[in-house]
Amino acid sequence: MVTEHQQWLAQLEKKSIEKQEQFMNDIASKLRRPRQRQAPTQPFRGAPDFWTELEWDEEKRIQAFTDNFVSVGAHIARVKNMEEVSQFIANKSRELSARYIIRQNEQALKDLGLEEQLPEVQISVWNSQADENWKARAAEADIGVVMADYATAYTGSVTVLSSPEKGRSVSLLPTVLIIIIPVHRLYTRLGETLDRFDEVGRENLPAGIHFISGPSRSSDIENDLTIGVHGPGIVYGLIMG
Amino acid sequence: MSQPGVMDTTVKERAGLALNDDFLRKAVKFTTERLRNGKKSASEEHGNWDEWRERGRQIRLHTIAHLDYYLNEFVNNARANGVHIHFADTSVEAAAIALDIAAHKQASTVVKSKSMVSEEVHLNHVLESAGIEAIETDLGEYIIQLAGEAPSHIVIPAIHKNRYQIAELLSKEAGEILEPDTTVLAGFVRKKLREKFLEADIGMTGCNFAIAETGSMVLFENEGNARMVSTVPRTQITLMGMERIIPSWTDLEVMATLLPRSATGQKLTMYMSGITGPRRTADADGPDEMHIIIVDNGRSLQLGDPEFQELLNCIRCGACLNACPVYRHIGGHAYGGTYSGPIGAVLTPALNGNIDEWNDIAGASSLCGACYEACPVKIPLHDMLVYLRRRKVEDGHGNKMESMGMKGFAAVVSNSKSFSAAIRLGQIGQKAVVRNNGISLKLGPLKGWNNYRVAPSLAKKSFRQQWNKLDQELNEKQRAMDSSVRSRMEQIIREREEGEGKKHGH
Repeated sequence: MVTEHQQWLAQLEKKSIEKQEQFMNDIASKLRRPRQRQAPTQPFRGAPDFWTELEWDEEKRIQAFTDNFVSVGAHIARVKNMEEVSQFIANKSRELSARYIIRQNEQALKDLGLEEQLPEVQISVWNSQADENWKARAAEADIGVVMADYATAYTGSVTVLSSPEKGRSVSLLPTVLIIIIPVHRLYTRLGETLDRFDEVGRENLPAGIHFISGPSRSSDIENDLTIGVHGPGIVYGLIMG
Repeated sequence: MSQPGVMDTTVKERAGLALNDDFLRKAVKFTTERLRNGKKSASEEHGNWDEWRERGRQIRLHTIAHLDYYLNEFVNNARANGVHIHFADTSVEAAAIALDIAAHKQASTVVKSKSMVSEEVHLNHVLESAGIEAIETDLGEYIIQLAGEAPSHIVIPAIHKNRYQIAELLSKEAGEILEPDTTVLAGFVRKKLREKFLEADIGMTGCNFAIAETGSMVLFENEGNARMVSTVPRTQITLMGMERIIPSWTDLEVMATLLPRSATGQKLTMYMSGITGPRRTADADGPDEMHIIIVDNGRSLQLGDPEFQELLNCIRCGACLNACPVYRHIGGHAYGGTYSGPIGAVLTPALNGNIDEWNDIAGASSLCGACYEACPVKIPLHDMLVYLRRRKVEDGHGNKMESMGMKGFAAVVSNSKSFSAAIRLGQIGQKAVVRNNGISLKLGPLKGWNNYRVAPSLAKKSFRQQWNKLDQELNEKQRAMDSSVRSRMEQIIREREEGEGKKHGH
């Protein structure tokens, strides 16, 4: 069965590669020139120069991130260290009567000691063992806990990258999302994060790069804002440091 | 979804339907104003908006001008990431490829996030006729799918439905009566679609941008359903217009600055996702298998066409719809195609490569240029509408009565005696029909115009009739024209005469 499927895929691949030549030649001929084989020089690449010079100090970055995040209905708390993070999550979990929490499989999150703090809650650790339906574990979770890889003050966005230890589902499927944002990962402009992906190059990119700017929302019914349509409806950003 | 029989009626008839629907008109007006004001304040707050627009335009122009290179790069890089790439020349081909994949996967359910290309391709219809359930998961798209209708706005597809109508539709689905309350309705959809996400065999997405240098695809959304369909099901199929390409992630900053602000006035949508290939072997979520279908469907017809190539710069924000006085009045369905508003009026005939079948939607514009002003990549849509009308006339699809009328008008006004006589006749004749300084009579030659407006009455004394007096007054003050001004004007007239021959030669 598998081999048959793979044969079929290989067949498609062959067809696709043949078609590719024809497709590109057709574009070039419609543009009335020979095929462009070398990388053309981009006369303008990325944001305008005046923009790339913009850099805010830490205080301004925290303030702008907070204002933007709160303006779309997300919540912000300032915490000094991981102990305070742990305390915040434990309190929030009790307040919301959470029964299931899922967290990414990262050392910093392990060090929170949530299991000891919350013995009444079932805490799962993403992809920590084989033969488990991790998407289902994330879908049933009341709270998902993730670390921000980067954050952008200007747009109030957090960036999370996927890996075997860091599921895309953990920031998506739970009802409540708690994101820890170490302050040294908070930058001014979106470009500061985006440029990294050009620098590391294709081979080193994760499958999923997600910018999250607040709770899931929709205005599709009579322009009436609804929160939590598909993704988490309650989002906490804990700015640490 | 297609609108059955839409080609059998004219835009006027379809607008007649829209204009009679009072709620639709109010809803469209309210929503477009909300979005337009949101865009206005977001672009003002951001500052230097025209410089950003120009940057966006430059990046799009460059990419499209070298599309063979960048698309080829994207394809090679995406393949290296493990993506299966397919090419479709037509919408029929695109649908066949998607169906073939679904059939090989023995899929029974497909969950979809918003994709305008899939509307072009009428994919739901194709899947359903093969016995595969296709579920739209964007809240607005889900609602209009239940209603069996087409989107009426590119960003807010169910703009034309009120919550009572929506409650009725969803109650049928729920098998119980749901209150016409937004939270209740959205809560039902969340629960219902959650199950669908988890059980679906295939997730299907559109593509806002594709990054050539890394083979990544980028999705902008607010609900999280695009993340769902690209994270949970084992197979992902993405439909992508062949022109969605940008060179790099750093260029994405410009698009991410322009798109959300222009679409909804947001600084960034709640989610922006860059997906680079299927899940890595050790990952525990993301699709095992990922397909991207690159769709032409008439797009390449614009390449090398100096009048329409810039159409491919469009980033599908919908700002031109919100800015358009005609769209605000008649709503999206009156345009009859997948894309509505000014972009639809140009894109639909351009993609179809046949002006005559869509010969009336280019007329559904007042050519005021508000669409161009609103466009984040500065597409001269109002010029394109004029080109379309010109091509339509050149191809012999003009309105014969209009041509005769224009010829008659020319005959009368090119002779000053007959023109003066006609004005005097009108001044006398109008006495019977002028009410409140306007003529609303819907008879004879005034019918077409006065159906939608009130014609102004003729002045008691026309400009020409006042001319002798004005001329005398002016002569008293007039001095000889500055010689440099005179020579400049003569130069302009000479150039205009020389340019006359070239003007139509595009």
